Amino acid sequence: MSGALRRIGERPAAFLAPAALVLGVVTLFPIVYVLWLSVQHYSLIGDAPAFAGVGNFARLFADARFWNALGNTVYFTLVSVALEVVIGLAFALLLARPFVGRAPMRAVVLLPWAIPTVVAARMWEWMYNGDFGVINYLAGADTNWLGNPYWAIHAAIAMDVWKATPFVALLLLAGRLSIPAELYQAARLDGAGAWRLFRHITWPLLRPLLLIVLIFRTIDAFRVFDAIYVLTGGGPANTTETLSIYAYKVLFQTLEFGYGSALAVAVFVCIAAITAAYVWLLRGSAR
Amino acid sequence: MRRGRAVRGKPFLHASTAPGSSSNAHFSAGIRLRAAAVGNLILVRRVILSTLRGLSVLAAAVLLVAACGGGDPPAGAPAERTIVFKHSKLFGDPTAFAALIREFEAQHPGVRVRAETLPSASDEQHQFYVINLRGGSADFDVLALDVIWVAEFARAGWIADVGDLLAAEEHGEYFDASLESATWEGRTYAVPWFVDAGLLYYRKDLLARYGFEPPRTWEELERAALAIREHEPALHGFVFQGKQYEGLVCNALEYMWSAGGDVLRDGDVVLDSAANRRALEFLGSLVPRGISPELVTTATEEPSRYIFGSGRAVFMRNWPYAWTLFEQADSPVRGKVGVAPLPHFAGHDSAATLGGWNLGLNRRSRYPDEAAAFIRFMTSPEAQRALAREYGLNPARRRLYADPGLLAAQPHLEELRAVLDAARPRPVTPRYAQLSQVLQSEFSAVLTGLDEPAEALAEAQRETERILARP
Repeated sequence: MSGALRRIGERPAAFLAPAALVLGVVTLFPIVYVLWLSVQHYSLIGDAPAFAGVGNFARLFADARFWNALGNTVYFTLVSVALEVVIGLAFALLLARPFVGRAPMRAVVLLPWAIPTVVAARMWEWMYNGDFGVINYLAGADTNWLGNPYWAIHAAIAMDVWKATPFVALLLLAGRLSIPAELYQAARLDGAGAWRLFRHITWPLLRPLLLIVLIFRTIDAFRVFDAIYVLTGGGPANTTETLSIYAYKVLFQTLEFGYGSALAVAVFVCIAAITAAYVWLLRGSAR
Repeated sequence: MRRGRAVRGKPFLHASTAPGSSSNAHFSAGIRLRAAAVGNLILVRRVILSTLRGLSVLAAAVLLVAACGGGDPPAGAPAERTIVFKHSKLFGDPTAFAALIREFEAQHPGVRVRAETLPSASDEQHQFYVINLRGGSADFDVLALDVIWVAEFARAGWIADVGDLLAAEEHGEYFDASLESATWEGRTYAVPWFVDAGLLYYRKDLLARYGFEPPRTWEELERAALAIREHEPALHGFVFQGKQYEGLVCNALEYMWSAGGDVLRDGDVVLDSAANRRALEFLGSLVPRGISPELVTTATEEPSRYIFGSGRAVFMRNWPYAWTLFEQADSPVRGKVGVAPLPHFAGHDSAATLGGWNLGLNRRSRYPDEAAAFIRFMTSPEAQRALAREYGLNPARRRLYADPGLLAAQPHLEELRAVLDAARPRPVTPRYAQLSQVLQSEFSAVLTGLDEPAEALAEAQRETERILARP
C-alpha cells in the first residue's frame, strides 16, 4: 500500500492535471479572456479588436451612468444586507427556542429561499402593480411602486430581503444550535439575564459564522441582476440600474464587448475588495 | 460521413468494456486489503488510460465529422436542398403557414423549407441571431428581422445585399418607412415583410356621449380626456407604454415627430431642439395633470391593452394587434372602439413609429439562390394576403390595404393605411441599441418628473453625439 501511495506521490502533477484542466477551462480562461477584452476596443458588430490600453477604463471613470449604477449597487447592498442580517438573526434566535409547531415553522420560513428568483420577482411585480397589486390594496394606497423613482429601488430591496432572509436565518440557526446548552445553563445559574446571555454567549460564538453569512450575502447582493431586471429592467430613469444590469445591457444588447468587459472587471474588482476586507475581519475575529 | 461513424463506434465499445473487466479482476482479488488497494490503483489507472484513449479517438472522430460537415456536401448526397427559415411565433392555426411552405416547395422541386420559431422575447431573439451569426453559422438561411436590427446586422456583415429582390419599380409597393428601415448606406439588406405602427384607440361611445370628436391634436386629446374624467372619475384618460424599455422610445418619438422634431437629420444629432422640448414638456405633463394615470410609468403593451380593453380608459396608444382582441365576442369594449392616427401638435402632422419585421438573407447561406426565392415568395402579395388573413399581421405591401377580401375581415386596415403611410422608422444606424438605451433613460426621467425636458434633451444630445463619434 505504501509503495502504491509513494508512486502517486512521485507523480502528483499527473493526478492533479485533470482537475487543473477543468478549472483552467471553465474558470481561469474566461477570467483572463475578460481581462484581455477589457483592454480592447471591440464591438461584435464592428471591426476586429484593437488594443485600447486603459481607454475603456478612462471612459468608465468619466461615465455618469457607471457611477449611478455603482451608487445604486452599493445602496442596494448595504440596505438589503443590513436588514437581512438583523431580521435573519431575530428569526434564528426565535426558531431556536422550543415552541409548538417549530418544525413546520422552520420549513415555512425557508420557503422564499426555495423559490427561483425570477419566479419570485415576477410574483412581486404583480404584488407591486399600481393597478391591481395586492400591496396597494392592503395599504389602501394608489402608488405605482416600481414606476416611482423614489420607491422603485426600495421595492427591489424589500423583495431581496424577503427572499434572502431565510438563508441568513437558517445558517445562524445552525450556528445557534451548535452552541452547547451548558454555557447557557451555567450563565443562568450565575444570574445572567436574557440580554447578557446574548451579549456574552450567543453573539461572540455566532460572530465567525455571521461574518461568513455576510460574505455570502454581500457578494450576492452586489452582483444582483435577475430580481431587479425582472422587476424594473433598471428603470425608471436608471434609478434601479445596478452594475450587473448595466454590464448586461452593454454586453448583450449593444454588443460592445470591450467596454462591457471593462464594466465586468469593475464588478470583479469591487467584489474582490469586499471579500478581502471580510477575510481580514475574519482573521481578526479568529485570533 | 459513414467512415466517421464506423470509427466512432469502436472506441465507445472499448471504453465501456475496459473498466468492467478490470473491476471483475478487482473483485476476485479483493480478499486481502493490500491486494484490494493495488487492485484499486490498477483499476483507476486503467479507467483513466482507457478514458483518455477513448477521448482521443472520440476527438478524432468529432474532427472528422466536423471536417465532413464543414466542407462541400459529399458526393452522392441527395439532390434535395433544405433551407431554414427563422421567424418569431405566429399566433393562430399553424396549418395556413404550413400550407404556404408546401406551396413554395411544390413550386421549387428539390427545395425543402424548415421553419423554426425564435424565442419569444425580442432581446433573446436578438441574442440568438448575434451568437449564431457572429459564430459564422450557416444553420439558417432566411431570417425575420425586427426593423431596428437591419442596419446593425448589415454593418456587421451578417446579412447579404438583397437589392436585386426589390426592383426599383417595386419600391412604390411598400411603405416608405419600411424601405427606409431595410436600407443602410444606400443598399437594401432586407425585404419588408410585416409592418406595425403606433395608433390611437378611443372609446367611440364615451366621446359621443360627452360630445367630442376623435382628437386630431394632442391639445384636443387633453381636453377630451380631462372633460370625460370630470364626469367619470373612475376612468383613466390616456394610457400608453411608459416603462423604461424600447416601447417608451417608440411612444416618445411620436410626440417629437408630431411637433416637427427628430433625433437625427442628415447624420447630425438634432435632439436638443425647441420642437422636441415642446413634445417632451407635453409628455412630462400627462401624469401630473391627471390626463394619464401614474401606472403608465411601468406600463408595457399588454398592461395598457388590458386596462383599455376592460373599459377603464378613454384613450390608448398601442400597436394594431389590439384591435382584433377588442372585437372578440367576450370583450367588454366590443363595438365601442375606434382607431385613428395619433394626434399631433398644432401646425404639424401626425407620425407613428414603425415596427414590424423584414426578411434578410444569411450571408453564409449555402443556398443563397433558394433562400432568395423563398424571400421573394414570402413577401409576394399572395403570401402576405394569406398571412394577414390568418394571423392578423399587417402586410408591408400597400396595395393589400385596398383588398376587398381583407378589408371585409379587418375593416380597420383602411384607417391603418393612412397611419402607415405617415409612419417613420426609428433612427437607422448600426448603433441603434446604444442610442435607445440613452433615450429610454432620458425619456423615463421626463415622464417620472425626475428631469426637466430641457435637461434631459441636452443630456441625450451629448450622449448620442458621443456614441456616434466613437470609432
